[in-house]
Amino acid sequence: MLRRRPVITGLGIISAAGVGVAAVWASIRAGQSGLRPLSQFVSPRHGHPLVGEVREDVDALAGAVRGSRSDKLAWIAAREALVQAGAEVGKSTDSTRAGVMLGATVGGMRGTEQFLTALLRENRHRFGPLRFHECAGAADLCARQMGALGPVATLSTACSAGALAILAAAQLIEQGEADLMLAGAGDSLARLTLNGFGSLLLLDASGCRPFDARRAGISLGEGAAMLVLEAEATARARGARVLARLSGGGASCDAFHATAPRPDGGGALAAMQRALACAGLPPEAVDFVSTHGTATPDNDAMEAQALRQLFGGSVPPFGSVKRFFGHTLAASGAIKAVLAVQSLREQAVPGTPGFEQVDPKIGLEPVREFRAQRVARILSNSFGFGGNNVALVFEEYPAPGPYPETPAPMEVNSTAVSRGLAIWGAGVVSAAGCSRAEVAAAFRAGGAACSEFAVPVISPTAKVKVYAAREPGGEFALDPARRRKLSRIQQMTLVAARQALGKTRETLGIAPEKIAVAIGTGLGSLNDTAAFVENMIVKDERVPRPALFTSSVHNALASQVAMEWQATGLNSTPVQREISFETALWQAMTELKSGRADLALAGAADELNQYQLAAGLRWGWWCEASSSSSPESHPRVEASANTAPPSPGNALAGEGSAVFALGRGGEASAGGPLAHVSAIRIARSAAWEAEAEAAWMVETLQRDGISASEVDLLLTGANGGNGWDAFYQAVAAAFSRRAGRTVGCAAYKHACGEHYSASAFGFLTAIGVVRGEIQLAGAPDAAVKTVVLLTLSPTGTKGMCCVRA
Amino acid sequence: MESLIEELKQKIIAGFNLEGVTPADIQADEPIFGTGLELDSIDALELVAILEQDYGIVISERAVADQAFASVRALAGFVAAHRV
Repeated sequence: MLRRRPVITGLGIISAAGVGVAAVWASIRAGQSGLRPLSQFVSPRHGHPLVGEVREDVDALAGAVRGSRSDKLAWIAAREALVQAGAEVGKSTDSTRAGVMLGATVGGMRGTEQFLTALLRENRHRFGPLRFHECAGAADLCARQMGALGPVATLSTACSAGALAILAAAQLIEQGEADLMLAGAGDSLARLTLNGFGSLLLLDASGCRPFDARRAGISLGEGAAMLVLEAEATARARGARVLARLSGGGASCDAFHATAPRPDGGGALAAMQRALACAGLPPEAVDFVSTHGTATPDNDAMEAQALRQLFGGSVPPFGSVKRFFGHTLAASGAIKAVLAVQSLREQAVPGTPGFEQVDPKIGLEPVREFRAQRVARILSNSFGFGGNNVALVFEEYPAPGPYPETPAPMEVNSTAVSRGLAIWGAGVVSAAGCSRAEVAAAFRAGGAACSEFAVPVISPTAKVKVYAAREPGGEFALDPARRRKLSRIQQMTLVAARQALGKTRETLGIAPEKIAVAIGTGLGSLNDTAAFVENMIVKDERVPRPALFTSSVHNALASQVAMEWQATGLNSTPVQREISFETALWQAMTELKSGRADLALAGAADELNQYQLAAGLRWGWWCEASSSSSPESHPRVEASANTAPPSPGNALAGEGSAVFALGRGGEASAGGPLAHVSAIRIARSAAWEAEAEAAWMVETLQRDGISASEVDLLLTGANGGNGWDAFYQAVAAAFSRRAGRTVGCAAYKHACGEHYSASAFGFLTAIGVVRGEIQLAGAPDAAVKTVVLLTLSPTGTKGMCCVRA
Repeated sequence: MESLIEELKQKIIAGFNLEGVTPADIQADEPIFGTGLELDSIDALELVAILEQDYGIVISERAVADQAFASVRALAGFVAAHRV
């Protein structure tokens, strides 16, 4: 049972099976599949397979908001959910207590495909659509629209991302970080996903047939679904109508394969068991299982196996709604969440269109048609590439017996850690070097050396000055056989993780299910993703590239790390631009504090890519290209946030990875931990105001029992660009006044460059500073014992944590 | 047939960047995937793409691929029968 048990007060959905909860439920009731022949774009290879398209005018429905198709789908569903909840953020709910946690995996890929098509087919440089490439766009948009100033983040664990976002939102409420969370996911169709699943031979053009003996793959779909989750007490206090309760959730990782599930269903079983344990319920309490049921031969066989193991001979009624919607990827878990609540309200469960014949290898028959049945508790499964599994338990409100209303809390959260959680290991790949010692040496030399990065999209000779990561060597380097299969960013991530953990799992002595992994990334495997789309466009979809597709998913990084150490605990991939690392750190620390993990890896990685560099140059994000033929001059595009002032300005781009091994402390280890971390927090600001940011930091420190006067140094994301450096200085001055002493203010990006994962390098820098290994300009002369790491994103999100010796 | 087997071995080595592997290292009658070459199911799908590009053979079902990839010799037989 989640202690501060979240209740659900609002639902929203947009999909091929209807726009709005009422329309979708009518389709469900009628057994009316939303699949139709693809019409949104031309696919030379696949023609017109049956897919779940939203036929309505999404731009018109979304109204005057800017974003990708995925972002707009998400906002349309969010608006419906917020209206139903009737919560007025800023009035009935404190803005700083309201947040957004979304899943996404396609993001703005449709726009990126348009950009690359115009470039490769017509040699036109239309960078505009790239502004909405990031998966974080939907969460940023929804947070701006609803005025949320609490935690805002995005998770990208492929097809389980929506469900994981709902679980993460519930944990934020449970921790008291928020009273109200918008949670869910939206994903649009794209040529990338159509051709990607096609290259894996996982598409059934004639429509998916979940659990059927002749099932042959998925139907793709698009859509979005959202829940408004609230703390029960505050929801009741404002007189909200409660629809249902989220009683529990569980996450696991197969640590088995990039795309295929563990055949024995062990990962899926673990997620379901953890969800029920969290809810304090035995398996027999489950009245209906809403399966992932994608209709791939592997998934359905594996999932049925897991159901048999969990429920023995009495598997409860179960079904799959994939033929109503298509597989909406990240949105699928959120859509199922909306349907689960609706089932509890209506006392009826959806059928499984597409199913006709029992598969003798499965021997189980799903609910064929919509039917009324007593249903008090629903288990809902979502599984993603990389073996990222999530199960959620939804319960009638108020919950009927015989199960205890308030079982003993699962969350131990009683860690007596006066100095915070322990940092046991740290790894890095960066322009400054590939070890803590090399990074310290680079800082002594005044920063890292820059190199030039070719950007042929601007001109054949164009080069941009960047902080490119050094090639890792030495004992943690990957052997050629391993490197062959990994993209550059995956290699960087694995090498950093090896440094943090040591090379082998055997050295850890910790059970695999007690190891959690959260690796953030702003943009993921950009180069493999670009190569897949380029090949698709130039060769007219004639030549599938399955390996590039499997590494294009953001969670390929975290799942590779999990496979290397057989880590079967939580596996997550935050993708919230500049605060991707802080979000990963929050998840890792949450797993440790709850006792679900004994060891947690937190990190982040991003890689340089020519399109991103060219777009950033055009938008004035990066310094000049050092080419003889400079880019044509174009007007600068304002930052997409409605907040002023800082724009990245004349920063230099960089790349790299950093990964940290965290524990609760007290573990047996020679020499003790490197340092301690506490006061982790992510949130959002509507406008940057130095006094307000200083006050936020002081309050965050106080919550963890740290006085502002203990802080020696503020380590900032200043990047040499216009606006940011001065603003961070102003924050440090305001913080100093509150602390009653002069707090130093320093930066680290002259050693790693500006990139979405830079604050992970900042965290490594903070560890070096409190250990006396790194001296920074701007730091006090006396020994620095306490550092606050502050990261502000131009879109308004922010993250902080405190590192102490 | 032997020359086609040799040709396919070359394609596998080049297609999968198998540094240091020679055609002689690949046994014509052993399974291509899940053996000493450390090739997995995603490599198998890459091989599906190679067959389409180089021989015009379109495989859209995994079961067909699994059968065709039983060994390099089986693959040569499959290619000879289906190439366009």
